Amino acid sequence: MDVRAAYKNFLAQSVLLDSKVVTFREVSRALHVHNNTAKQMLYDFHKSENEKRPGAVFVTYVVFGTKKKPIEHRNGADEDVEMTSSMPDSSPDAAVTRAFSLDLIPEELLEDALEEYEEVRSIHVYSAAPHPAKDMALLADTAQEAHSNRNGEDDIDGDQAYVITNPSVRRRERKGTAPNVATPPAGTKAAKKEIKSAFSKPAPAPSKLKDEVKASPPAPEAEKASSSAPAKKPTPALKRGGSANSGIMQAFSKAATMAKKEKPASQPATPSGDDSSVQPMSDDGEDDCEMPQPKAWAGAEGGTGRKSKREREEELRRMMEEEDEDEGEEKAPSPEPEEEPQAPPSVKEEPAEIVTTSTDGRRRGKRKIMRKKQIMDDQGYLVTIQEPGWESFSEDEPAPPPKKTASSAPQAPAAKGKKSGPKGNQGSIMSFFSKK
Amino acid sequence: MVTLKDVLNSGLLQKPSDEPQALQRSESNYTPLRSFNLGKDLQYQQQFADTYFLRLTKIKPSLEEVANSAWEGIVIGDETAKKVERVLDVRQGELCWVVGTVYMDMPAKPNILEDVSKDRWISAPSTVQKYYSDDGLDSVMLEDESGRIRLVGNVLKKFFLVTGCIIAAMGTENANGEFDVIDLKFADLPPQPERWELSKLSQKGARSVKKESKIKDEDVEMKDSSPSTKGKKIAIASGLEFSGPDTSYAMELNLLLEFLLGDILDPAAQGEIAQISRLIIAGNSIASEVKAVEEATEKKSHKKYGYDSTAYNAQPSKLFDDFISELLPTIPITLLPGVLDPANASYPQQPIHPAMFPRARAYTSIPGAAGPGWLDTVTNPWEGEVEGWRILGTSGQNLDDIFKYVDSDDRLGMMEATCRWRCSAPTAPDTLCKLPGAYPFQDDEPFVMKECPHLYFIGCQPEFGTTVITGPDGQVVRLVLIPSFSATREVVLVDMETLDISTVKFTA
Repeated sequence: MDVRAAYKNFLAQSVLLDSKVVTFREVSRALHVHNNTAKQMLYDFHKSENEKRPGAVFVTYVVFGTKKKPIEHRNGADEDVEMTSSMPDSSPDAAVTRAFSLDLIPEELLEDALEEYEEVRSIHVYSAAPHPAKDMALLADTAQEAHSNRNGEDDIDGDQAYVITNPSVRRRERKGTAPNVATPPAGTKAAKKEIKSAFSKPAPAPSKLKDEVKASPPAPEAEKASSSAPAKKPTPALKRGGSANSGIMQAFSKAATMAKKEKPASQPATPSGDDSSVQPMSDDGEDDCEMPQPKAWAGAEGGTGRKSKREREEELRRMMEEEDEDEGEEKAPSPEPEEEPQAPPSVKEEPAEIVTTSTDGRRRGKRKIMRKKQIMDDQGYLVTIQEPGWESFSEDEPAPPPKKTASSAPQAPAAKGKKSGPKGNQGSIMSFFSKK
Repeated sequence: MVTLKDVLNSGLLQKPSDEPQALQRSESNYTPLRSFNLGKDLQYQQQFADTYFLRLTKIKPSLEEVANSAWEGIVIGDETAKKVERVLDVRQGELCWVVGTVYMDMPAKPNILEDVSKDRWISAPSTVQKYYSDDGLDSVMLEDESGRIRLVGNVLKKFFLVTGCIIAAMGTENANGEFDVIDLKFADLPPQPERWELSKLSQKGARSVKKESKIKDEDVEMKDSSPSTKGKKIAIASGLEFSGPDTSYAMELNLLLEFLLGDILDPAAQGEIAQISRLIIAGNSIASEVKAVEEATEKKSHKKYGYDSTAYNAQPSKLFDDFISELLPTIPITLLPGVLDPANASYPQQPIHPAMFPRARAYTSIPGAAGPGWLDTVTNPWEGEVEGWRILGTSGQNLDDIFKYVDSDDRLGMMEATCRWRCSAPTAPDTLCKLPGAYPFQDDEPFVMKECPHLYFIGCQPEFGTTVITGPDGQVVRLVLIPSFSATREVVLVDMETLDISTVKFTA
């Protein structure tokens, strides 16, 4: 079979030329062969290459079986020894308890490791690499990749990839969502064809396809850039709006709108495994756990839902514009009271202030305030009275005038900038996005 | 001992051969019980005292039976032991026995009254390793709704005693007003249901609706005779602790995944793996992010409502989601929340919301649906019937808390004690999950074991352990301590025919 011949080329390419660590799962995905066949391919490749040139390919083995009682090698360098040594006394009825071990062993240590075993149930090659396996963490990355490659496939229909199938698996039917399949756009379809012909196997190779997509990800990057641009401003709300499909945020910022517009274009190219990281939860009423593509969502809702949403957006936008105008009017007088902290005397009990010293912004003096006083009257009752009094203040006291202004003219804090903006009176949210 | 020669050219260590045949996963017969699910309209106005009262009234009748048969007409020093209804009815110098709830007074134990009197309304969760201390200040009390009496005597040291367990004590009140205990009795194991009891019940009920819901309910499809469970296994894992920054055991987790999928190993072993019909994850699937929080406070980042959203790391839950969604197409999963998981902290912990798993949630059941989902997010503790066996499982908090009360490391012994007490979480309202504490039950006290499980597992334990205990009426319970995967890299396989236990340890 041509696949059988192709695997040596594939392995030679990835292991010898690209110096990659290749696990049996990767072989299985890439060539679309059964996992067990892939294991044998790795073994055969290892054997034939090392016959040609010893030390060309290093493999790791998986050994599964029962180990001898590990008491005698207490001083072994393995980290697990202290743990295993405590095993026998913690399992009083060891007769019914069998402790299996599944070890990943580099080939150079295989012989020693096997000595520890009482019985080997199963042994096979796990991975092949052009150098001795030192750090298993590297292998973890490779293995992780194999998983994420599968993530895009439909988990049930792609059961060809599963060694053990489960006929009774059931999933819930979810309204308005296609199964978790990333439908590849036309561009990648061509790539798919290429791969097909390369391995001349009728079955599609979506795993490989994903690799291609990953290798050239200009679209996701662009998307990232667009969503990070508005995120620079220190507002979590805006960040959320940049990627979430909430319509209301569109009205607020142009950047967010752009991000949204760009989104449907770039989304299909993104490996769907990354969805959850790209897409933070938004707490608006919509079910964001449905498919993230806004288009698919809207389409599934049906024409009416979409229309009403658009109408709503339109309405919101109109409202915002009106508020915008209001704000524009109010903005003009606002810088004035900001410069001079003396508040406009609109509030009824605005205290009179006597500023004694006012050098380079420092203010010291006295101002009139109402003091609450509790006294006992002649009948023995406690009475609280208010009486005017004078209170001295200096610069480090919280200046009350801006606060007072806030209540009279709600736009003042907005002009003051972001520091006092969110704290102050709740004005229009538009003030947040206005030019500083 | 195995040598290299023995294994060479065996199985998969040879040239590629023919395509192996496909394997099918064994079907899982699974009926979860909703004993620990709380309703939606929760009230927290009520007092905890009712929980204790309920527990006492539930266990008292059977305990009195046990005590009666043991102490009826017993004569010690010319005196016949009499039964006394209430703790307050104990008279000085009279030999008697009384049933009540144990209260442990320990200086090291967190005390809510102390917190209130010192005006510490938001006290940090207790970090004490043990409430027990050697200084002799600890005292054991027996109380019921009438009053409280201090227990003394050497007998007390022979048993595990914690706050909240119900005991019958025989003895006399001495001159100091203390109750000198001569003997203690527990309610012992509750009656054990037959195997397949639940399935048979639901079969009878389901037979009438058989025609409507043929596909949905797997119990319905079961034959009248009990299905064969020969060779079937379930896997129980706990403490997977998927973590963003800590990848030290990522490869082991990956091996576990490949093992459960059946990707790894040779056809013979894969055939055995295909017999694993269900995976139960007993808590702590997601690691705590202590370090990340510390860093964030240094940065003094922008906070909203006291919560710094930038400090949230979605990576652990995403990794876990990937893990289970990869497994789900081939194996059903029961997921218990643990102390580190994103569920409520109070006991009983309610199921983790499926929204935590954007990919795996397709396998969960629709809210309000009758049958369990393929991915069944359940409570902690959890009770159910798997392959006919009644199974009780927790994620370890109940045992960890009992562990703090006693001067012992014998976790299996403590586990056995919970069965003998007929209470899976005796310390629940007192110290277990202090703040916000256990739910103040009014109508039912679910921690009382009404029925004896066949298999009782406790997750997130420091090491593996198992034993079999037997009850007076021939009950047989298999106890298993499930080790934390993050600590020991082990998972436990339970044979569903014999309830034999095997462990698989992953090393990379």
